[in-house]
Amino acid sequence: MGELLFLQQDVFPALMQGLWVTIQLIIPSSILGLAAGVAVGAVRVYGHPLAIRAGNVYVTIFRGFPLVVQLFIWYFGLPHIGIYLTPFTASVLGFTLCSSAYHSEYVRGAFMSAKRGQMMAAEALGFSRLQLIFSVMLPQAFRRALPGCGNELIYLIKYSSLAYMITCIELTGQGKIIASETFRFTEIFMIVGVIYLFLTTVSSWGIRRLEARLRLPGFEHHRM
Amino acid sequence: MPASIDAILDALPYLLQGSLVTIGVVLGAMGLGLLIGVSLALGQVYGPRPLGVPIGLYIWFFRGVPLLVLLFLFYFGLFSLMGLNLSAFAVAAIVLGLISAAYQSQIFRGAILSLPEGQLKAARALGMSDTRAIVSVVLPQALRLSIPGWSNEYSIVLKDSAVAYALGVAEVMARAHFVATRTYEHLPLYVAAGMIFLILTFLGTRGLRMLEDKVRIPGYSR
Amino acid sequence: MSEDVPVLRVEGLSKRYGEKPVLEDASFSIREGELKILIGPSGGGKSTLLQCINYLVKPDAGRIWLDGDEVVPARKRELYAYRQKVGMIFQDFNLFDHLTALANVQIALSKVRKLPRDEARKRAVMELERVGLKDHIAKYPAQLSGGQKQRVSIARALAMDPKVMLLDEPTSALDPELITEVLAVIRDLGLEGMTMLMATHQIGFALDLAHEMIFMEDGRIVETGPPRKILSTADCDRTREFCGKLTDLYGEAR
Ligand SMILES: Nc1ncnc2c1ncn2[C@@H]1O[C@H](COP(=O)(O)OP(=O)(O)OP(=O)(O)O)[C@@H](O)[C@H]1O
Ligand SMILES: [Mg+2]
Repeated sequence: MGELLFLQQDVFPALMQGLWVTIQLIIPSSILGLAAGVAVGAVRVYGHPLAIRAGNVYVTIFRGFPLVVQLFIWYFGLPHIGIYLTPFTASVLGFTLCSSAYHSEYVRGAFMSAKRGQMMAAEALGFSRLQLIFSVMLPQAFRRALPGCGNELIYLIKYSSLAYMITCIELTGQGKIIASETFRFTEIFMIVGVIYLFLTTVSSWGIRRLEARLRLPGFEHHRM
Repeated sequence: MPASIDAILDALPYLLQGSLVTIGVVLGAMGLGLLIGVSLALGQVYGPRPLGVPIGLYIWFFRGVPLLVLLFLFYFGLFSLMGLNLSAFAVAAIVLGLISAAYQSQIFRGAILSLPEGQLKAARALGMSDTRAIVSVVLPQALRLSIPGWSNEYSIVLKDSAVAYALGVAEVMARAHFVATRTYEHLPLYVAAGMIFLILTFLGTRGLRMLEDKVRIPGYSR
Repeated sequence: MSEDVPVLRVEGLSKRYGEKPVLEDASFSIREGELKILIGPSGGGKSTLLQCINYLVKPDAGRIWLDGDEVVPARKRELYAYRQKVGMIFQDFNLFDHLTALANVQIALSKVRKLPRDEARKRAVMELERVGLKDHIAKYPAQLSGGQKQRVSIARALAMDPKVMLLDEPTSALDPELITEVLAVIRDLGLEGMTMLMATHQIGFALDLAHEMIFMEDGRIVETGPPRKILSTADCDRTREFCGKLTDLYGEAR
């Protein structure tokens, strides 16, 4: 009985508060990350050679540095040059930049796999370059990139826990705090784990639904 | 920023020692992941149907829960509950390995399923037991096919190993932070740490590429 | 072994996939040194029959005897021993892609028959010489022509000293100019007295060498008899019709 009360009164409110922060981290990061990823990906395919170079360096660094290192750079490193970010802002910045690098890889692959003839056909119809990217290439590329980008979203949900390491107290952080106070590490982290499991499971289900709805004949994806 | 460069140079030997710790964690994790991953894949493909359920649950759990949560769960919770007193280093390697096993199992499973069915049939037709056929015919081919996926997994585990800092493992990231709080040269030190990871990724994937070339079956193109 | 015990005897072999019977009550036997040819339209169940014989496909019903001893597939050891004595040649070769020609022949000798390394190697080289591949033993499957691959697979089966060989359209995946080299090897085997059951559309070959022809359709053995009879004056209309087409396609026997 006391057990249940403890869960109800202490654990759940704290964890829900943490979950709310987690969600606040994930939503802007995923939207901004995807937008930036599409932009970077498009530049790396259709951009000026110099822009392509720059895009490749960007991706190498943001995919090559561990996310923890990136977060530390934004939170502890930027003050070195006089820029101070809150833990929350630093986290969103870190997640956005890192996931945009991954998204851009999928987007780039998707653009590259679009058949040359599609572009030629659009040009022959008098589309401008920007028009043809938006009305012909993007809708096709989007479908091809969706599985990879969807996966990236799942990763983002899990990696959002790293915000704790730069003192942004989200779900994992709340869990750590209560667990340390109560010494109930196993139970608390089990509960925290199950909440994440719920988030990742629901998201991957949603992504699969979206994939199914957007499916066009000839754009089937071969899942690994 | 000459002072920064000095700071990096001063800290470099210390950071590089940390990279040995990082490599240790990663090798342990990849090895454990290989062992469990191959078993899970074999269980999924060749095992009896009911076995698919616990394997599926394992994969679902370890792919769905964040690394940091699992590190805390195992380090502060489960292992001490079991009466095991493991070092942070060991826990990091084990947890990374358990997670990697879930991902690696899918690499191996894909590789096994991509082999033509005739390979197993021919082995059986020669009187091989299923175990023998798997060991002598399926695995040698499937493991070769898995190297590119494995290389990708290596670079993920390598980067994830920086999270072991949360348990106090003295790997590259932890050391960079330790020096940074002393010297106030945060930015250059974290960049240096990032570069070390970048180089380790490059070296590892390069090595695996060479391995792939070395074990390539003549007559097959990449 | 007494003269009148067949090497291989099959009784009432049946197999269905879901509702669809693909093999119905197949019975026949093969005596030592006989070559029997299996013909019939595509999807008639020839591959299924051959694969059921060594339990690569598990038959739903039926019994099999090798040299008069009944095979009990539930006893694993016995099954493995039985399969060693039944050589199997596949339409698409199924060489182990990661092994050289030599290793393909050697592997079952070492791992299944547990021969010492040297002995296994010697035997493997001998079998490869026998099929005319002495110069290619170090090549990998991807470096061999189709005809060479099929000859390696024959060497691989022969190395196990089979009592009987099952050949499932061994030449139908080959270019016409490679068919002859494989048929020549099989012909030699037949002349040396190897007991064989072979699915093929090579009418000329069948007429020259087969002791008997088995016509299969829709999973049933429709008719059995000497090749010349089956091909020209079969009792069953359906057999005559099919064989007429085959003869049109591949030409009358010389
Ligand atoms: N694994 C399977 N599942 C379902 N049906 C099958 C399977 N294998 C074979 N069949 C069916 O069984 C029937 C017999 O096939 P089989 O391969 O034995 O014919 P075949 O006489 O060897 O034909 P072919 O000359 O084309 O090789 C076919 O209709 C086929 O579709
Ligand atoms: Mg067939």
